[in-house]
Amino acid sequence: MKMKHLVLTLWAFVVTTPLLWAFMSSFKTDSEIFDSPWALPSAVRVENWGRAWEQASMGKYLLNTVIIVGGALVLTMLLGALVAYCLARYTFPGNRAIYYTLVAGMLFPVFLALVPLFFVVNQLGMLGTYHGLILVYAAYALPFTVFFLHGFFRSLPSAVAEAAFIDGASHTGVFFRVMLPMARPGMVSVAIFNFVGLWNQYLLPLVLNPDPDGYVLTQGLAALAISQGYKSDWSGLFAGLSIAILPVLVAYLLFQRQIRAGLTAGAVK
Amino acid sequence: MATVTYAGATRHYPGTDRPAVDKLDLEIRDGEFLVLVGPSGCGKSTSLRMLAGLEDVDGGKILINDKDVTNLPPKSRDIAMVFQNYALYPHMTVYENMAFALKLRKTPKSEIDVRVKKAADMLQLGDYLNRKPKALSGGQRQRVAMGRAIVREPQVFLMDEPLSNLDAKLRVQTRSQIATLQSQLGITTVYVTHDQIEAMTMGHRVAVLLDGVLQQCDTPRALYDTPANVFVAGFIGSPAMNIKTVALTDEGGVFGQMILPLTREQVAAARAGGDGKVTVGFRPEDCQLVSATEGGMPVVVDLVEDLGSGANVYGHAAINGGDERFVVSTERRSMPNLGETVFVKPRTDHHHAFHATSGIRLA
Repeated sequence: MKMKHLVLTLWAFVVTTPLLWAFMSSFKTDSEIFDSPWALPSAVRVENWGRAWEQASMGKYLLNTVIIVGGALVLTMLLGALVAYCLARYTFPGNRAIYYTLVAGMLFPVFLALVPLFFVVNQLGMLGTYHGLILVYAAYALPFTVFFLHGFFRSLPSAVAEAAFIDGASHTGVFFRVMLPMARPGMVSVAIFNFVGLWNQYLLPLVLNPDPDGYVLTQGLAALAISQGYKSDWSGLFAGLSIAILPVLVAYLLFQRQIRAGLTAGAVK
Repeated sequence: MATVTYAGATRHYPGTDRPAVDKLDLEIRDGEFLVLVGPSGCGKSTSLRMLAGLEDVDGGKILINDKDVTNLPPKSRDIAMVFQNYALYPHMTVYENMAFALKLRKTPKSEIDVRVKKAADMLQLGDYLNRKPKALSGGQRQRVAMGRAIVREPQVFLMDEPLSNLDAKLRVQTRSQIATLQSQLGITTVYVTHDQIEAMTMGHRVAVLLDGVLQQCDTPRALYDTPANVFVAGFIGSPAMNIKTVALTDEGGVFGQMILPLTREQVAAARAGGDGKVTVGFRPEDCQLVSATEGGMPVVVDLVEDLGSGANVYGHAAINGGDERFVVSTERRSMPNLGETVFVKPRTDHHHAFHATSGIRLA
């Protein structure tokens, strides 16, 4: 028991320290960051955040990211849930083939797909557009989503679906009114996972999103770090980093309260 | 109000060598409480699910009110079902659970309200309407499942072992509640159970199934008094009937020094293909413990179950060279001790005779 606590404490320390340090540094001056890296800022310099938001366009990038990740997330969850439900609960010829093809997508290295993907998106005229990135992100996140939800839908008691059929629900009705609400803990878990993954996505936008006005946060941060060159603005960089991290933290804190195992408790004996 | 007819209904699961339900013929009358009973794997649940539309029918037909429903989806059959594990919707309150079917049917809100409240009153669920299923006890969940069926006012109620997840005391209580409710509502009910006591106490008629084949369908009393074959004789009644296959003489079955008399017709029927043997049975309560001089069969007592109201005596006796086990119900006053030898004498005219190979009752 004690050992477990020790390990967990250590782990929590390792995870939170860099976050807190970056957050703290975002309120310091550049010289403070280098002279006394562990000390608290002498004054809270909010102007660092203003500089990152305005001059480094982190505000604009945040908006771009929210639109793209949000759109991709809605699309992924809707399609993923539908596909996983059909594959998990209906038997039809080709069921397994479709499932394994989708799951194989998880194993395919994204680097191999990059070049052909670029040409496809380019020829579709979707390079650097919101909808272009949303579609690619959704395709990227779909395999894991289906894999995860497939297992989840399988574990739901089929008697509840049968009860709904007898009560007069159609197939769509059973899915949206009964099975989907029952799958909420699984949906929330996989949504958080996808949100974090897509939010931090750098490789795909790097290739498919060349227009600086359309940058997402990760590209913005990279640009901020590179463009500094010799006139470094470290405090601004940390502020930009914090801007990129905060929404993920907030989203996680909000949603994690909703992951409640035992939501299905009471359905069957 | 409806009749239900199984006409040669068959279900054959792909990849199995024999049908789960084999040419089931059964007529269920309007307002009747029919119980399907049998050991696990006998096809009783499958039969019920075929009627519900949850299971394909591979042969024959199923009719509700003389209308062929064999290929209709569940929602077009106007039935309501209570599941063994209740299958409540976990994200809905008790009220929403009961109102769900009516809502899908676009019933006006005011009428839904009236019907749900009425059903809730009948089942003493009035105080729990805003709770979710997980905040209810097992018995309350069971009542919600009943309520969900009742508010529908369907043509037929289907119940798939609705009591098997309750504790013993609650089960007995709910058993009588369901029977009372059914006679009040007068809705045709098909009830599946593996528990022969439930079957005997609740059903107007009881259908006994084994290996997908209907063995006998009759009133509880008729099943008990005149079982159609050895299986029904052994399945109905607790403790089970003492059934032994013994040598056949002109007078009847030979039980050690004792002879269980058979009519001439019975003896003749038993002779045909019976290999000189006959299967006879007598119920534990249809025999007496007598003194050594009165010509009973000597049985050595292995176990005595004191039930309070009476006692079950389990023992063994050497018959035809083999050790045979017997059970006898007796009054508490004459309860023997372990290891004691008692003398068992079946009451005349209360024993049953079956053909030794086919197992069919000898009339």
